[in-house]
Parts: sequence; C-alpha cells; structure tokens
Amino acid sequence: MTSMTNTARHTRPRRKPVDGWRWTGRIFLVLMLIYTVVPMAWMLITSLKGGFAAMMYPPQWIPAEPTLENYIRLLDPKDTIGQDFLRYFWNSLWVSTTTTILAVFVAVPAAYAFSRFRFPGRNFLFFAVLLRNMFPAVIFLVPLFILMRWLGLVNTHGSLILTYLTFGLPLAIWLLKGFYDNIPIQLEQAARIDGATRFQAFLLIVMPLSTPGIIATAIYSFIGAWNEFIYAATFLNKNEQMTLPVGIQRFFSENTTDWPGLMAASFMMSVPVVVLFLILQKYFVRALTEGAVKH
Amino acid sequence: MAEVVLKDVVKTYGNIYAVNNVSLTVADGEFVALVGPSGCGKTTTLNLVAGLIPMSGGDVMIGDRVVTDLDPKDRDIAMVFQNYALYPNKSVYKNLAFPLQMRKLPKEEIDRKVQAAAKVLDITHLLERKPRELSGGQQQRVALGRALVRDPKVFLMDEPLSNLDAKLRVQMRSEIKRFHQDLKATIIYVTHDQLEAVTMADKMAVMNGGFLQQYDTPANVFAHPVNMFVASFVGSPAMSLIPLTAVTRGGETLLTSAEGWELPLSPANARKALSAKSDKVVLGARHSTVRLHHTKVPGSVPGKVYTVEPTGDVTFAQVFVSSAILNISLGPSVQIRPDENIFIEFDQERMHLFDGETEMALKAV
Repeated sequence: MTSMTNTARHTRPRRKPVDGWRWTGRIFLVLMLIYTVVPMAWMLITSLKGGFAAMMYPPQWIPAEPTLENYIRLLDPKDTIGQDFLRYFWNSLWVSTTTTILAVFVAVPAAYAFSRFRFPGRNFLFFAVLLRNMFPAVIFLVPLFILMRWLGLVNTHGSLILTYLTFGLPLAIWLLKGFYDNIPIQLEQAARIDGATRFQAFLLIVMPLSTPGIIATAIYSFIGAWNEFIYAATFLNKNEQMTLPVGIQRFFSENTTDWPGLMAASFMMSVPVVVLFLILQKYFVRALTEGAVKH
Repeated sequence: MAEVVLKDVVKTYGNIYAVNNVSLTVADGEFVALVGPSGCGKTTTLNLVAGLIPMSGGDVMIGDRVVTDLDPKDRDIAMVFQNYALYPNKSVYKNLAFPLQMRKLPKEEIDRKVQAAAKVLDITHLLERKPRELSGGQQQRVALGRALVRDPKVFLMDEPLSNLDAKLRVQMRSEIKRFHQDLKATIIYVTHDQLEAVTMADKMAVMNGGFLQQYDTPANVFAHPVNMFVASFVGSPAMSLIPLTAVTRGGETLLTSAEGWELPLSPANARKALSAKSDKVVLGARHSTVRLHHTKVPGSVPGKVYTVEPTGDVTFAQVFVSSAILNISLGPSVQIRPDENIFIEFDQERMHLFDGETEMALKAV
C-alpha cells in the first residue's frame, strides 16, 4: 500500500491534449445551429411586435411590447386576412395530405413490384423513374402547365397533387425498393405456404417491415408538397385555391409590407412541418440507414 | 401423410432448363433427400413442389390430388427454410399460430395445437420471445414447429441445417431424423451436403445440371453409382477417378496408363471394360478399398505420395497415380511421407469402371 501511494504522489497527472478536430467539429455545429435557428428566432420575435416596432432600427432583439395581435388576426375568421390565411392553410393541408396518401399508395406497391417481379422494361422503367430526379423541378414547369391545361386541371388542386406526386415518387420508390430488396423472399414464401395469398403475404408480413420507409416517404412527400411555391404560383390564380406559400406572398402589398403579419404567417406555416419531423425523425433516420445497407 | 409424385417436371428460364424432366415418387412416410451441387436445380424442384414458382411442364401429385395448378396455400404442405424465415415482428407463439389463423381456426384449437407442437419440439419456454432473441438452433426448432402445427401432408425442407455451426448441425440432424420417425412424416429434404442426405434419408435423388442422375437408397447410390458424377459426389473423401486406356493383348484385357504401367483385370472387370464405347475407361476406387504397399506386389501400380492428412483416428493420404489424385485411408500407425514412391493395390471386386466418353458406369453384360 505504501509503495503505491508513493508512486501516485511522484507521478504528475498529464494534461489531456486538446483535440483539435473535436473542437473544430463542435464549433462548426454551433455555427450551423446559429445559421439555422437565428432566422427562425428572428421570425418569431418579429411576429410578436406591433407594426412600428418591427420597422425600428437598430432592431429590437427582445420586443419591448410583445403582442399576439398578429396571430390573433390571422386566425380570426371574421377578419379578411384571417379568412384568407385560414383558407390557404386548409388548401395546403388538403393538397399535402392528399399528395402524401397517394404517394404512399403508389410508391409501396410500385417499389414491391420493382423489387420482386421481373418484367420486360423493368430496368428501363426504374431508371426513368430515377431520371426525373436528376432535373431541377422548374424544367418541367411549362410542359406540365400545358398538360394540365389539356387535362382541364388548371387552377385546381388536382394539378398540384399530380405534379407533387411526380416529385416525391422517384425517391420514395427507390427508398422503399431498397427496403424490400433487404427483406428475404423466404418470409413471403413461408406466409404463402402458411395459407396467405400473395397479397396477404405482402400486406400482413412484408409491408409492416418497411414501416420506416413508408414513414420517410410520407414525411418527404408532405414537406415537399407543403413548401412548394413555383408550381402552386403558376397553376393557381384564384385566391380561393391558393396554398400557403403563394398566399403568404400576398402580404407584400403595393405600398407597405406587413412584416409582423408576414412573420406570424410564416411561423405558423412552419409549425406543422417541424412538429411532424420531430415526431417522426426517429423513423426517418432508420429508413435512410436501414434501407440502404445490404445485409 | 401422403405420397408425392413428380412427373416429367420441367422449369425453364428463357432457354435455360433449371429442372429438366425430373420424375420420381416419394412414398407415404418416406424421407427423400434431393442432393446435388449448387445450381443443380434441387431448390427449384422443391419450390415447384411447393408451388412457389410456376411450373413450365409436367405434373405434381400430392396424395391423390394433382396440385400442379394450385397455390401453395392449397397444397397442404409445410416448408422449413434455410434461414428459418420466422416472422420477425411476431412472438414465437404468434409465429406458430399464424398458419392456423390463416385457416381461421377457433382460438382454443389454435392454442391447443400450438402448445402441442411447442411441447414436441421443447420450445414451450420460448413462446413469448421474439425470433431475434433466440439462438440458431432454437429458431430452427420454431421453424419446425410452425411446419408441424399445420399437420400437413408433406414436409418440405430447404437446407434447414446449413446455417448452423458444425456441432449443432450434427445434433439437429438426429433430431430431424427422430421427428421423421415419430411422425412417420413424408419429407422432401434439399441439401448440398451428401453426408446429411446419406445419414438421414430413406432415398436419395442426386441431381446435376437440372437432371436427375440417380434415385435410390443411399446404400445403392454409394455401392452402385450410375455415372461418374454420382460416384464422385457421394462418399467422403470422394471416390478417386483415374482415366486409363483399355488394351486387349493375347486374350487378356488390361488397363494401361500413359505412365507406362499396366493393371490386369478380373474376367468380370474385363467384360465391363470391353463394353465401353471406346478404349477410354475410367477406374473408380473408394479410399477404403485401396491398399498401399511400399514394394511392388503383383497386380499393384506405382504411385507417388502427394499429401498426408493424419486425423488421429485414421490417416488420409492423397497419391498421384497416372497423373490423377487417388484418395486412400490408412491406419494411424502406417508411416508414409510426401513424395515417397509407393505401390497401390486395387480390389477387383469393389472397383468401379466407367466409360471414359459417356461417363456412365460400365456393367458386366
């Protein structure tokens, strides 16, 4: 015992060397955090100010007289602005939800078919599906508008839903196909021998195993549809039809801009997306990693 | 239980015949092994019997029903897979119950059958666990239980032991054999391991390249292989095959080697050699029928030792004879070294002769 304490006293504790890389990483993360959070925070702060307070320079970081009047006005069905906002919100919700549900309904069987079946044109079709994603969405604006006009769908939500489906489906099908590729075919074979039809085997056994992928598809489709601006602005020109991204634009009027109102509306527009993401992020991460790794 | 009949079963993928006119009958209660190397069509054949893939030609009968056009669920079969294929999100109990639920049986009956099957396979204590919490052997037993619970006419098994470690494999082998004996079940068992087939099966169907090579009891397949492929496939170490040339001189038929030595043949063997299409004859000898000598003994041929593998119990040696490798087993006390020149004596009664061109076994007419 004595010898041990002697040794302990004679050894000087070494300072841990500063890990340069780790600190660089941490600083980088903090910078990214600031970069993403500050605009949201500023948006929230501005939305809590009255009209004049919003225009003050130097800007107030903490509102002297925080007010919820902007939010109240936007959500008031008796106010014209409130009516508009609620309508836009409802339109966006309708379009995004329908897009999401349809995306899942189409992507899941399509991915399964690509994964399990061999049919002529399979590889070409899959490549064509992916090819769409290699081009920026704007390229298809004019052709799609002409198509929608030909279909008589201009100024309807249907045109947007169809368009948003073409955005979201390629990634969804690719992602889900990865899932199905990784699920051993013997599971379906066992189910079919146990008394299930091909469809039952898929529905009861295989599809539940791809739930993270389905949730990722849903999140991706919803967010894509919710935030989309260019197509919504092009295909819709009636006030009643507009979605939030386009509708909010109307806060910029000829002479003045209702900044606090705009900020309040933007903030409320972000809420569903953030909430959705927070709830489902666990599945989203699982989907991206599990679907990609080959067993 | 029922018998299974395969009649001219064919499966093509484009121009490729994965299964080429396979016909065989599995008697009621028989354990038949489909053996062959990878890609020979044995798993495809099993999948055709199960109905998992559509048949290109031929018929399958289970019992007295022609099931060729029936879905797997209507064929009254059960299947055990190499990777167990247990439903991962269901407990063991639910895995066993699933086939019965699909049949819409009442709850009490399902419970009764599940408990009975669990008892037979000694997995009652695992019923509440999920498959990922079980060891390989336990998962395999659950897979067997899921098949057992259905009380099917035929059990189909696709290499069920291949994913287990060697020791567990030996143990499960005898468990499956007991399973077969206790239930008097009709079992069709696919494996690439000829030892599994030989030890477990009543009959073996050896397949290669989509064709059925030979269908007989393991003993017969071992003792009377119908061609060179079957001869070298069954038995471990494999039967040695030595290509030689038959020569008749002065009323006597001999086998000669390019190295210059000659092997006289017994009258029966001579007749076999002469029935070959050409003078190319392949000599087949199993390791236990060949004797090693250090000096030349009448009727023996020269060889050179290539490797020596002592296993403690028996010593296996590989010897170059006429530029072919010969496997030989020796007692543990025999002394030989690599590169040593020795002499090999063949047993005329137990040697095999094959036609060098057609590769078929030569029979005495």
